[in-house]
Amino acid sequence: IMMFSVSHKTAFVVDHCPYMAESSRQMVECDMLTKSRGQGVIPLAPVSKSLWTCAVECSMEYCRILYDVYPTRKLVHYIVSDSEFHSLNSWRQEDQSTQELMAALASVGPPNPREDPECCSVLHGLVAAVESLCAITQYQHEARRTLMDVADRVANRGRIICLTNAKSDTHVRMLEDCVSETIQEQNKLAAGSDRLMPIQRCELVLVHIYPQGDDTLVSDRSRKELSSVLSSEVHSVRAGRHLASKLNILVQQHFDLASTTITNIPMKSFLCVSVTLKEEQHANTSANYDVELLHHRDAHLEFIKSGDLHMAGSTSRDSGLKETVTLKWCTPRTNNVELHYCTGAYRISPVDVNSRPSSCLTNFLLNGRSVLLEQPRKSGSKVISHMLSSHGGEIFLHVLNSTRSTLEDPPSISEGCGGRVTDYRITDFGEFMRENRLTPFSEGVLDASGRTSSERAKAQLERHTRYWPMIISQTTIFNMQAVVPLANLIVKESLSEEDVLTCQKTVFNLVDMERKNDPLPISTVGSRGKGPKRDEQYRIMWNELETLVKAHVGSSERHQRVLECISACRSKPPEEEERKKRGRKREDKEDKAEKNGKDADEKAWPDSERLKGPQEREKEEQTESEMIKDSPDSPEPLNKKPRLMSEEIQPPQKSKGPVSLLTMWTNRITATSRKHEVFAGRLNSVNNKAELYQHLKEDNGMDLHENGKATR
Amino acid sequence: MPTVVLMDSSLSMTRPVSQEGSEEFQRKNLAVHGLTMLFEHMATNYKLEFTSLVAFSSLWELMVPFTRDYNTLQEALSNLEDYDKTCLESALHGVSNIVQQEWGSTCPCQVVLVTDGALGIGRGSLRHSLHTLKQRVEDKKFPLPFPFPAKMFIMCIANVEELQSTDAMDNLEQLIGLNGGEGQIFTMEGPLCLKSVQSMFGKLIDQAYTPFYAVLHCGNLASDVQVFPRPEPVLVDEEVDPIPKAVQTEVDEVGAGTTEDAEEEPSANQMAGKSPNFCVLLHGSLKVEGMVALVQLGPEWYGMLYSQADSKKKSNLMMSLFEPGPEPLPWLGKISQLGPISDAAENPYGEDDSKSPFPLQPKNKRSYAQNVTVWIKANGLQTDVQKILRNARKLPEKTQTFYKELNRLRKAALAFGFWELLKGVAELLERECTLLPDSAHPDAAFQLSHAAQQLKLASTGDSQYSAFNHNITPLHTDFSGGGAGDRM
Repeated sequence: IMMFSVSHKTAFVVDHCPYMAESSRQMVECDMLTKSRGQGVIPLAPVSKSLWTCAVECSMEYCRILYDVYPTRKLVHYIVSDSEFHSLNSWRQEDQSTQELMAALASVGPPNPREDPECCSVLHGLVAAVESLCAITQYQHEARRTLMDVADRVANRGRIICLTNAKSDTHVRMLEDCVSETIQEQNKLAAGSDRLMPIQRCELVLVHIYPQGDDTLVSDRSRKELSSVLSSEVHSVRAGRHLASKLNILVQQHFDLASTTITNIPMKSFLCVSVTLKEEQHANTSANYDVELLHHRDAHLEFIKSGDLHMAGSTSRDSGLKETVTLKWCTPRTNNVELHYCTGAYRISPVDVNSRPSSCLTNFLLNGRSVLLEQPRKSGSKVISHMLSSHGGEIFLHVLNSTRSTLEDPPSISEGCGGRVTDYRITDFGEFMRENRLTPFSEGVLDASGRTSSERAKAQLERHTRYWPMIISQTTIFNMQAVVPLANLIVKESLSEEDVLTCQKTVFNLVDMERKNDPLPISTVGSRGKGPKRDEQYRIMWNELETLVKAHVGSSERHQRVLECISACRSKPPEEEERKKRGRKREDKEDKAEKNGKDADEKAWPDSERLKGPQEREKEEQTESEMIKDSPDSPEPLNKKPRLMSEEIQPPQKSKGPVSLLTMWTNRITATSRKHEVFAGRLNSVNNKAELYQHLKEDNGMDLHENGKATR
Repeated sequence: MPTVVLMDSSLSMTRPVSQEGSEEFQRKNLAVHGLTMLFEHMATNYKLEFTSLVAFSSLWELMVPFTRDYNTLQEALSNLEDYDKTCLESALHGVSNIVQQEWGSTCPCQVVLVTDGALGIGRGSLRHSLHTLKQRVEDKKFPLPFPFPAKMFIMCIANVEELQSTDAMDNLEQLIGLNGGEGQIFTMEGPLCLKSVQSMFGKLIDQAYTPFYAVLHCGNLASDVQVFPRPEPVLVDEEVDPIPKAVQTEVDEVGAGTTEDAEEEPSANQMAGKSPNFCVLLHGSLKVEGMVALVQLGPEWYGMLYSQADSKKKSNLMMSLFEPGPEPLPWLGKISQLGPISDAAENPYGEDDSKSPFPLQPKNKRSYAQNVTVWIKANGLQTDVQKILRNARKLPEKTQTFYKELNRLRKAALAFGFWELLKGVAELLERECTLLPDSAHPDAAFQLSHAAQQLKLASTGDSQYSAFNHNITPLHTDFSGGGAGDRM
């Protein structure tokens, strides 16, 4: 459907003249219960609807279906006509609901049979409808605004559905002529106005309604061009169910709808089954559990093209004009795999909205369940062709691709570029995505720089990705818990004083870590042998942190202050670093000289240990020894004793010439252990053995160690 | 999109091509040479596309069903035999059936017809088919236009002069016209030789088989991607501005949503690609988190990216294209109105991911989600009246339900101008009142006559009593209070 096709605007003109108060002579038996009661109760006489009631309820059905399938952009203007016209709503989207129209209709009430018929005419309404079609809808207005210089390319078309009781074919001709003339007049007016648009195309649908049992005075006539702008068709219909099915057919034709009947519905799967059966008994109707739905006809595209339409149980019903495709219910299940083969989703409207089977089915779907539908085929085979399920309180008929998919057997992403890299920051990026999730904001909300919501979302993505290493081995800072507070804050568009403080604290904390010589999670992947030295590690970390913060330094003065803090606090100012670099070259040479001796030593380390840098090993040793020193209660691990003893046996000494790695090692250990106060027991030990609990005996002279238990 | 190669195997294809001082070729050899070139190109650049080979003369035969195995296609091509005369119409019927059986009627296809331009004689010739176009009965229709969207490329192993010396060129042009103008005729330039056939197939490749390369951006992260199948430009059916929308090659990731509403869209495409690659990272995280990413393909054209796994546990990054427009999925609202959660007062997904701002609820409920009243069919009205009567007999226990149903009926009757019904139901209630057993609660009689009186007043059209939004409320009696337990 084109954006501004004839179906963009529908003007309903319903005749409200005295003759419409006449009975349709279709009787409705309301008093069903009395029959079963017997015992001389006089049942209520059947009631009959007036022509007006029939016209109104059928036009409301038309609108109900229209609004279900097209909640926006398909507009109705409802006009009633007697001695003057009464406009019940406007083209505004807010006015498009059956509740609004029902309330307005109630205030109009049924036609007054005593009103002077000479003053009353449906013409007032038809003239108002033509005028109304010249009025610009908000959608046309928006389109004109966006097209500016070619605004005249926005089309203005519409349809007038007139429900009336005409006197004769001549009367019908008179109504058509009146519409045609009014269009000419109004188009002249509109041509000179900015607030009106001339009508380019108008379809007049005249529905003549007459009581049951009468002969019609008006003949049916298919669409005829009355002028280059106006076409007209005449439907002569008996009031009651004939009128209802006529308007049902019209709404399908006017809005490209098609019908699907769901059959084989297992009513037992609904909770309401007992109620249903009870009501069926009361209503004395046969148990037909089929549910008919209307939806855009594209949902049947595959049937139409494959010639399976008739095989799919397409049957003519009622007046012989209506066709429906029958699809069979499949046991509900939700399997996400099926979703990928869906080729379209279309809103539905049930034909019998408050019949039991229909409301059971729609409630079932609104509660989040899905129903798969099966299509019988020419070949006799069956295939799942559609699925019903709801999204946000609306039910959609999904078309499933029942043939082979061109997407079958896709290659794995690991076969493509970057597919063999194994240390992607998958979890971190997951967290990144969750922080960058989207949520709806109200229309027209712009920020200070005039950006829409989605532009702000893109701006946030840009900020968050200014420095974002993709793999774990490319980063140090993002592997450190200590950096998290700063990393989370620095990407913000603006920082508060408190944020700056938090960032500064993060930096101070890092300085503290460095002072304590804490190890860093520097990756050694790719670098053979030992990784960088500890000070080098911190240099890498500081550099990376600076890179991150520099990427945001332009955001605000406070961002700048975070960078300044880092520059001031970080371990090696650049010039010092330079000096260090020159010095390191010498060290490197010495390192190479040591290599031969080291290799032999390294073999003693188990493989898992070998992967750790020597610095880390050293750290472990150090903490272990600290633990031993700090907690006198814990027994010294056996395997450590020899090392401690050897420390005593081989006292540190300055060696001349090349020293062995072991010597360097022990020197270092001793040096670090001297930083701490040595356990008093070790200082007073004899032959490296200290007596425990020396003072206990002095208290009462009793031997505490008898059979390992304390005795008194 | 899948390709059907429709190869002319009629005797005329064996006509020798006159060449000086070299090996003698048949037109068929040139055709095979050109197709080999096409298959080699596809095997390298288009390996995920399906191709089938159909040979035809007066009959047609599916030589190779749709496959990605270009060796099989090549082999079948080199083993083609020579048959009798050309009969294009039946062959096109064959193509139509093969495609529909395999892919249905919605999958777009390309048909590459390779022929020497000798289009048969007498019955079954293209000339005859086109002459009789208007005399067809329903089940003998000409196969074009195909029921599926199709582009037809006609590769003529002949030059323009030769085709124009007969009506061959006119007929082929008419054929393209019958396909809605979708397609093109390629002819050979200069002498018929390997070089000119290569140049002709080279043009076809440029026209229809260029791989689709794009760059996927997510802020400053980016990745080169190739998209299979190639996304074709969409002609938006919007009379105001009928400009085809083409996917911009710079693809922008807007942000991430949740999978709860991951919807299946018109076409889905695979993106494939030793250095770290953003696509692999994105795919891994989308898979682990069960999320989808929104992707912008052009102005007001969006799609989504997600991880799709097949049954063999292989997974890849898939891109589904939405229909172009500002609001492709109603339950997401307008895409331009989606902003970062950091802008919201509180996280709409909840601190523990227990909530979601989606799906958006429509402003007005659909008819099936509200308790609408429809009396088109008699039993709709009968059911509503019976509901009132059933509750009337259980007064005062069912007072609330009784009045709720009564008011629903009242509203609808007023809107439909059905005052006669209001009077009728009032009478029914009055009668119920007289039929109350002695054991009935005294409140029942009061409520019934009150309700009947109110309905009668409404049926007079007196604005004081017939206001649509007015509700009949239970009569307050000394006995009432029993109805309180019956609130809905």
